[in-house]
Amino acid sequence: MKSSSAWRAAAIGAALAAIVAAAAPLRARAQRGAAPEAKPAAAVPDISGSWERYGGFGRGARANDPTIPPPNPPPPLKGEYLKEWQARVQAARDADAKGTPLASNATYCLPEGMPAMMGATFPIEFLQSRVQVTIIEEAFTQVRRILLDRPQKSFDEVEPSFYGRSVGHWEGDTLVADTIGIKEDIRFQNAPHSKQLRLMERIHLVSPDVMWDQLTMEDPVTLEKPWTVTFAYRRMPNYTLLEYVCEDNREYADDKGFQRTRIGSGK
Amino acid sequence: MSRSTRWVGLGAFLIAAAGWPLPAGAHHSFAMFDHTRTLTLKGTVTTFRWANPHATLELDVPDPHGSEPVKHYTLELTSINMMQRNGWRSNMIKAGDMVKATIAPLLSGEPAGLLLDVTLPDGTKLEPGVPAITTFKRTPEPE
Repeated sequence: MKSSSAWRAAAIGAALAAIVAAAAPLRARAQRGAAPEAKPAAAVPDISGSWERYGGFGRGARANDPTIPPPNPPPPLKGEYLKEWQARVQAARDADAKGTPLASNATYCLPEGMPAMMGATFPIEFLQSRVQVTIIEEAFTQVRRILLDRPQKSFDEVEPSFYGRSVGHWEGDTLVADTIGIKEDIRFQNAPHSKQLRLMERIHLVSPDVMWDQLTMEDPVTLEKPWTVTFAYRRMPNYTLLEYVCEDNREYADDKGFQRTRIGSGK
Repeated sequence: MSRSTRWVGLGAFLIAAAGWPLPAGAHHSFAMFDHTRTLTLKGTVTTFRWANPHATLELDVPDPHGSEPVKHYTLELTSINMMQRNGWRSNMIKAGDMVKATIAPLLSGEPAGLLLDVTLPDGTKLEPGVPAITTFKRTPEPE
């Protein structure tokens, strides 16, 4: 049993911790605000609403338009991981050429997870509040939450998941987000990653109706250097996201790992 | 065709054309469908199922020469989200409708395929917005 002085010390400690935690965002903002910048900090933009992927799928499409980001580079993987990735990509290509595609997460109607969901195959919605930016991708109804002005946890504290744990803050007009805790089998463009994958995003408007997410993947185990890809979106002012439920998935994997399709009306 | 669908289609085509690895996990591969020929089916709708990840259309197709039994086909469309953005509605096709369908058949030889377009009883032609549709070589419709 604890002595009364120990209880008192614990209570004071807890109270101090609560005060420090509550003050942390204010302090962070104050420090950023105090930085001797030449130009005044830009205001937080209104990015709420529906957006669609824009321009960035192809190579060289409308190359003279500065709102279209440069093509995304392939993953700068370290030697052994590069070999594994190349073999995997080649195997998928060979299987496709034979008309027997390899089963993937899509075969099971699993969502893409991070960062692939930011590729916005279907429209994507941003919802801003004072404490959180919520992002919803229509396909598979994928949802992620960027907690604002909260500290990130350590890798060990975050359970692996499809979207990981995202914290962020506004740096002037740019939403800066930090995400960890992505499951190792949730891969972007098939590239392998470790438990130490960290995603750093800078989300900002490049014109009134075009927004970029510059997303840098850092992984000391699998990547030679940080891997930055950019997704561009344009506003869909009159669009409301539709629901998406995987209700009638007819794809399945056979015992050799190839994707098959169930035909006929049998349930 | 809506802007978003056009971009999805164009994107898929450019990704395929560049030999870039397809996004793992987004949507399943269409490689199991024959890209070298199409079939034109004239038949009666038994089911039009409005559901994700793909709508399905089921047809009873009689042999044009009357010598074979009626063949039942299961046709895959795209996501109902893409279709809805393209102007489709769930009540556009009903059981009992006589339709003409252009399909990329399943390579396995089973009576199934990917629907490229469908012509309704009133002559309206609808496309479900198959990505990279230009990679499917069309066979001329038999006379």
